[in-house]
Amino acid sequence: MAQWEPKIIALLCNWCSYGAADLAGVSRLKQPPNIRIIRVPCSGRVNPKFILASLRKGADGVWVSGCHPGDCHYIEGNYYARRKFALLKDFLEYVGIEPERVHFSWISSAEATKFAKVAEEVVDAVRKVGPARYLVKREVEVE
Amino acid sequence: MSRLRLTQEGLTEWLRRLGNIYTLYGPVLTGSYHEFKRLQDPGEIDWDYSNTRLSPKALFLPPAEKMFVFSMDPDDPERAILKEAPKDFGPRLVVGIRPCDAYAMKLVDRNFITPQYRDPWWEKRRQETVIIGYGCNDPCSTCFCLSVGSGPFDTKGLDVLVIKVDGGFSLSFCSERGKKLLRREPLGARALSESEERSLQDRRAHAEASMPKFWDEKLVATRPLLDIFNAPFWEDIQFSCINCGTCTFLCPTCWCFDIQDELWQNKGCRVRLWDSCMFPLFTLHGSGHNPRSQKLQRVRQRFMHKLKYYVDKYRNGVACVGCGRCVQFCPVNIDIREVMRLMVSHCQCSL
Amino acid sequence: MFEYTEKIREIVKRLLQDRVVDGVIGFRKGTVPMMNHPFFMKHIEQVPQLYWDSWCGVNLANYLPKRQDKVAVVAKGCDSRSIVVLIAENQITRDQLYIIGIPCKGMLDRRKIYDTVRTRGRDITDVMERDGLIVVTGKDFSLGLDRNQYLQENCAICLHRNPVIYDELVGEMVPEQEIDRYEDIRAIESMSSEKRWEYFSKLTEPCIRCYACRNACPFCYCPQCFVDESKPQWVGKTIDPTDTLTFHLLRAFHLAGRCTDCGSCERACPVGIRVRMFTKKLEKDVKELYGYEAGVQLGERPPLDTYRPEDPQDFIK
Repeated sequence: MAQWEPKIIALLCNWCSYGAADLAGVSRLKQPPNIRIIRVPCSGRVNPKFILASLRKGADGVWVSGCHPGDCHYIEGNYYARRKFALLKDFLEYVGIEPERVHFSWISSAEATKFAKVAEEVVDAVRKVGPARYLVKREVEVE
Repeated sequence: MSRLRLTQEGLTEWLRRLGNIYTLYGPVLTGSYHEFKRLQDPGEIDWDYSNTRLSPKALFLPPAEKMFVFSMDPDDPERAILKEAPKDFGPRLVVGIRPCDAYAMKLVDRNFITPQYRDPWWEKRRQETVIIGYGCNDPCSTCFCLSVGSGPFDTKGLDVLVIKVDGGFSLSFCSERGKKLLRREPLGARALSESEERSLQDRRAHAEASMPKFWDEKLVATRPLLDIFNAPFWEDIQFSCINCGTCTFLCPTCWCFDIQDELWQNKGCRVRLWDSCMFPLFTLHGSGHNPRSQKLQRVRQRFMHKLKYYVDKYRNGVACVGCGRCVQFCPVNIDIREVMRLMVSHCQCSL
Repeated sequence: MFEYTEKIREIVKRLLQDRVVDGVIGFRKGTVPMMNHPFFMKHIEQVPQLYWDSWCGVNLANYLPKRQDKVAVVAKGCDSRSIVVLIAENQITRDQLYIIGIPCKGMLDRRKIYDTVRTRGRDITDVMERDGLIVVTGKDFSLGLDRNQYLQENCAICLHRNPVIYDELVGEMVPEQEIDRYEDIRAIESMSSEKRWEYFSKLTEPCIRCYACRNACPFCYCPQCFVDESKPQWVGKTIDPTDTLTFHLLRAFHLAGRCTDCGSCERACPVGIRVRMFTKKLEKDVKELYGYEAGVQLGERPPLDTYRPEDPQDFIK
């Protein structure tokens, strides 16, 4: 079997982290190739269902990134997101999902280096815990 | 054929020998309630049980089962062709079903095995399953089987009836299939003595006397459907309903199912799973229209189906066997016995 | 608790006579022991049906969302908190309600009684209660049980036994308990990831997906539940273990900052799953992170519908 490489779903805010990813690319910063980006209008748009859906479909990790507090394009979307994610992250850990699988960050569109650095951190963390074990929906387990 | 008498050890030993031919199922205590489980050994059966939390219908209509499997691999020449999911339909022996539950399976047969359509999975499982029932010496306070065409010692759905007697069990064989079980001889069995036979009849009379009778099927059957459909009492009954599926999922005669496709990577399967007329989605049309969008309509549907539509369609009793599960476990105490009483008194008043 | 019954009847009679409300949501005596039946009444002749005892665990706030009329509702401490949340969520207005408050000493758990009495096939025909003693009677036995041992789990650790809003109380306020609500949650938190996963997989294993937990909850009033959504389908509908657990996770998360721990979900479950082990964790986190308790103060915004700039964010890179 080919060596396992983590697959990570990144839900990036259109106004900041997605731009940072773009800038990191344009600036030719070294980044891990394990990230699959989904562009969202705001971190506040990220429904907990999206994160669970990613894990259920077999993502080894999920990373949500939005604007720094105070910089939200919609003024306060990321503040609401912050409360939601604080609870969700702890809740997922509580039911046994390893803390290394789910990550959050604030990255502005100018912070290409931070993007590359956090991407590296996320991939390293997921690599450490190995392929997804829990909550992955495979073949339906019925009679 | 006269009844046989066996000690508990003798019965267990007989079942153990039958276990060489049949896969055995029986009631065992799991957590705080009883369930029908596949038995490693008939000694696991709890003969002191009153009834299982979930009805034995799951043995014939599992909560979810694969019907077909298919591949979506672009290189597979049989891509997207449904093939019947492989299943074990080997001979089974279900021990300890209560007479009401066994009778319920007969009622569901009328729906799944018709001259026009035959449900292959239900039919095969029914054909391959021999049922040893367990008479109710001591019916629960929520039982009302006698009101609805069954009874604590009803043999309509059984191949063998086991009744607990002093110091052991009596066995009577109620079908050809049941008699065939005697090919594995029950060691140590003897015929029931006259006095034992008498005490058995006493037990029966005692159990039956403890059961209420409040249903008047003839009366309800002869009333026009719409007269009951539009009765005012539904408004009161429906109020407390929360539209969960507890009653339908616990019910031995609720047979409705949903079909879903499940896909994982290139492999898929078509599964069928229990559905409930209590859920709004049950009747939701593709257009978005829902003919039963209101709670009242859904609650009425369940009771009308059991107590009127089924009666009118098959002219052979109601689709309720009086097991009392919905009575005990409805989270908001909607009691089908009350509904039946209201129906009867409505029909009496409007005569 | 018979004095409560008398008082409820007295209040309701007056309300209907004076036409203060269009109808009343209360309990009448159940048809089986340890169950009472929620019902809606409009006529004075029905007043004698009203009933109250320790088996009125159903949260009547569940019957309030989207009502148009003015109703009186009988509410325990937890129910009154649910009403506060429903008002905050615009499901009903305060003006539409006449709240008959019940100072509550805790509802009883019939499952615990069954476990004590009935495991060996013994049928319960009657249950009475007096002076802290529950007398359980069957065909050939009678048993006295200590009330305090048979409280619903959520009632045993309740911090708001008295209604937080009401128009009238049916009795004197009862003393509130001082108790550690989260002992069991902390015990789980201290386990390893593997053990926790094992625990919750086992917890939800008996689930038959009947949705009684969801539907018994006063806050599950969405016109379409996520389990019924098909484009995309967030969760499969069979009893596949992953799907079942996903359902329970999302159901509980939807109640974050809203659940008042009335215990309706757990009481409704036909197979006895302790679903409060999910919601209580979220309740604990909401309290620790945002200092918020659901439904204790009218007019307060729900915690996920508001924010503070200085909210904790150590978990964010």
